[in-house]
Parts: sequence; structure tokens; C-alpha cells
Amino acid sequence: MGNGIWRISRARGRAHLPLAVVGALAVILILFGKAETSLFDRARTDVIDWMRPALVTTRVPMEAMSRWAGSIGNIFWVYQENLKLKEENARLKQWHNTAQVLTERLQRYQLLLNAVPDPALSTVVARVIGRANHPFLQTMILDAGKANGVKPGQAVMDQRGMIGRVYLTGEHTSWVILLTDLNSRVPVSIEPNTDQAIMGGDNSPMPLIETMAHGVQLKADSQVVTSGDGDILPAGIPIGVIVPDGRSYRVALFADQTTAQDVQIVDYKQKPEHPPSVAQQELPVTAAGLAPVAPQPQVTSQQQVAPLPPPLFKPPPVQAAPQKTPVQPAPQPGADADPGNQ
Amino acid sequence: MERLGSLWGGKFFANLIPVLFGLLGVIITNLPFSVLGNWIPSPMYALMPVYYWCLVRPDLMTPGRAFLIGVAHDVISGEPPGIWAAAFVATYAAIDKQRDAFAGLSGLGAILGFATATLVACGVHYVIFSLYRWQLMPVTGSIKEFAVTSILYIPVVVVLASVHRRFVGPLRREF
Repeated sequence: MGNGIWRISRARGRAHLPLAVVGALAVILILFGKAETSLFDRARTDVIDWMRPALVTTRVPMEAMSRWAGSIGNIFWVYQENLKLKEENARLKQWHNTAQVLTERLQRYQLLLNAVPDPALSTVVARVIGRANHPFLQTMILDAGKANGVKPGQAVMDQRGMIGRVYLTGEHTSWVILLTDLNSRVPVSIEPNTDQAIMGGDNSPMPLIETMAHGVQLKADSQVVTSGDGDILPAGIPIGVIVPDGRSYRVALFADQTTAQDVQIVDYKQKPEHPPSVAQQELPVTAAGLAPVAPQPQVTSQQQVAPLPPPLFKPPPVQAAPQKTPVQPAPQPGADADPGNQ
Repeated sequence: MERLGSLWGGKFFANLIPVLFGLLGVIITNLPFSVLGNWIPSPMYALMPVYYWCLVRPDLMTPGRAFLIGVAHDVISGEPPGIWAAAFVATYAAIDKQRDAFAGLSGLGAILGFATATLVACGVHYVIFSLYRWQLMPVTGSIKEFAVTSILYIPVVVVLASVHRRFVGPLRREF
């Protein structure tokens, strides 16, 4: 288009040698980057920290333009949208009341059972300042980093559900790998049977349920939450619902990573849960009137230990037995056995 | 003396414009907004200045600068280092080899010329990434990226031509 307007410069004589050199440099960079990933990650976070003001500045007019463009389209749907929102609001109010009642009931039950409460999760609110949506990569850059307490592995979510997890942190910025990315693998639990599975991204809008116990049949619209396996992500973060896709299953995400601008980074500091120590009287063996097994001596790993014999059942002593009678076998329930006479 | 300073400043500015546009393209590609939604990959805005100035002013868009823009793309997008840099350099080599053919195109032909360059970039990126991961990657994303980049070259080249005419072009006589 513009090529016809201006005379083409022919200054290309010097371009050949640098081209070969630059091509070699690119290959070296790829190989070196493969070998020294951490070095490049550090350089990358430093560069992004340095570029953060530029990204934030460029973001402002683009955000305004995006809102303006979006609002033009929305004008035509305001009436229908308003009706839909009113209906949804009325339905949500009913659910809100139900949720309040159930929450109070759950708290009472937890109190009665002396249950371990859910771990308190603190969150860091961050703004999305970059988003890479490329054929083989889907990441976000957030404007919160180590200085805000963000660490690799933490879950990132918006108000609806999980978006991804942090995989790289700079001083003031962090990188998020989205759930839809090719490299994303998250252990999930599928309700209501809490089927355990691994959810993997394949750069499509709906991640794939990859690894699951053999023969498990899932139902459409079953809710998918994080399972908490591996102690990296907290359990129970909502992710999406199951959508059957031929023989496999996909997950329709609750969160919309295309519109998420402000996100929460969940700080998961739960320590391993230890069960409370049990009193001697509460042991089922003691309660049944059996003698408790003596505690085993501490053994070092080098010592060979013979396997213990199975515990023997000792019946409780019989009091005031006037006459020894042979033990009669218990009558088998049959046609001649009358349960009413026993 | 004052004119000399002005010329010096102007030359310096003209030298920087193609690279700055390339870097601006990198930033825009990776901004958290997309007019096309998330189901289509972001267009490679950075490739457009590389192609345009590689044709009209190769003295201002050297292979080293194309490499630099590619590295910036790798850094900001979070991809493994060197992949986009290699793709950009390979595309530059293809344009450089067929410059006479590409430069003679106008109108729809110019768009097809850019589409050819984009095809080279996407193809090289696909091959290198597949080798890097040692697995055959899905090709759908690359096709979408190729299509959206080729289409969006039409409005962007108007801006590039305007900038070239206003700021870069008049300085051509100094070379």
C-alpha cells in the first residue's frame, strides 16, 4: 500500500553479514535460554519491573477506548439487559437467604463436632497490566510482586472463580499462567462425588479434564473446584462446570479471563493439619474393654524389625461361672429359628 | 550550526522511529485488551513495522533491530527466549531476499506480500516452538494469528505510511 508512494531504498549491501550473525545469535539465544531458564526468568522480571510504568501508562488510554467501544455496543441491549438483571437479582436474593441459613447451620454443626475450621485466606488485589494471548501461550502480567507478598504457585482469581496461578514474580510485577494455557495443570475435585482429576489447558477457552479414575462418569454442570492436593493451592476454589465433549470432558470456566482487570492473589499459608491427640478412654479398643497394645519401641532405620503377629482377641473375664458348659454355636437364622424366643 | 543540530536531531529521531514503532507494537500486542476477544490470538503488531521499514528503509530497519524487537516480544509475552527473535530474523531474511518482488506490490498485492511474510513468521515460530517442546503443537492458533495479523495490516499500514511520510521520509535525502 504505502510501498508505491515512496521510492524504495536500495541500501542493502551491508545487511547480509549482520543477517547471518543475527540468525546465529537467535539460535544461540534459544539454546542458551533452554539451558538457563532461571537466568532468563530473572532478566524477564527485571525488564518488566522496569517497564511497569510504561505498561500502566499505555493501559489507561486503551482501557478507556475499550470501555467506550464496549459501551457503544451495549446501548442496543440496555433494556433486555436490565430485565435480565432484575430477574437474576430476585433469584440471587433468594439464594442469598438460603446461603445465610445454611452457613449458620454449618457453623453450629462445626461447633458441635469441634471441627477444624477452614484456613483463613488472605488476598492481595492486583491489576492486570499485560496479557499475552498467543497460539502457544496465555499469560497475564499483574502489578503486584514480591514487595506485596506474592509468591510463585499462588492462585489468582476474580470475583467468580479461579483464573490461573502465579509462576514468576518480580519485585513489583508477577506473571500468571492461565488455566487455559498449554502448560497449566491443576488438581481438581469434581462434585458431588469429589472425583479427583487433573485439569489441563490446551489453549482453547475450555480446559480439558485429563487424568481421572478409570470408569468415572461425570454429569454435565457438575461443579469443579480445586482439590488442594500438593498443598500449593487451597481446596475448594470454584473453577467451573463440566461440559461433555464427545468422549472427554471439558470445564466451562466461571471466571472470564478476557475481561478480568482486577484480580485477587490468594495467599495460602495453611500449615499441615495434625489431628488432636486422643485420650486413652476415647480409643475404641479401650471402650470395647480390650487391653491397649503397648507402644512400640523407637527403631532406627538401620535396625531390622520382625513383623508383629496379629493382635489376639482376649474375651473379657466371665464373672461367677457356676458350671462350665460347652459353648453352643449361635443358632443360624433359618426356618426353624424363631427370633422372638431368643 | 543550529541547522546542523536540527539535522542531527532529525536524523537521530528518524533512526529511532521504526524501532520505537516495533517496540510499541510489542507492547500493544501484550496489552490486556483485545478488540477481538480472547478466542483469537493477538495480532503481531510488531511484525508490521519490521516488514514496512524493511522494504522502504532497510537502512533504518536492520536485521539487528528486527532481532531486538523479536527479543522484546519474547520478554514481554513470556515465551521462551529467542523464539520470536528467530522468527523475526527469518522473516527479515525472506523479505530481504525477495525485496524487489515485495517492493513492487501495491494495493491488494501489498497486503498479500505482508501475508506471505506473516506466513513465514508464523511457520517459523510454529516449527521452532514444536522443536523446543519436542511435540507437535496444535496448528489452529497459528492459523488464526496469521489471519488476524494479515487483516489488521490494512489499517495499520495507513498509519505507518503517514508516519513515514511526515517524519521518516523527508530525512531520506540525508543518506
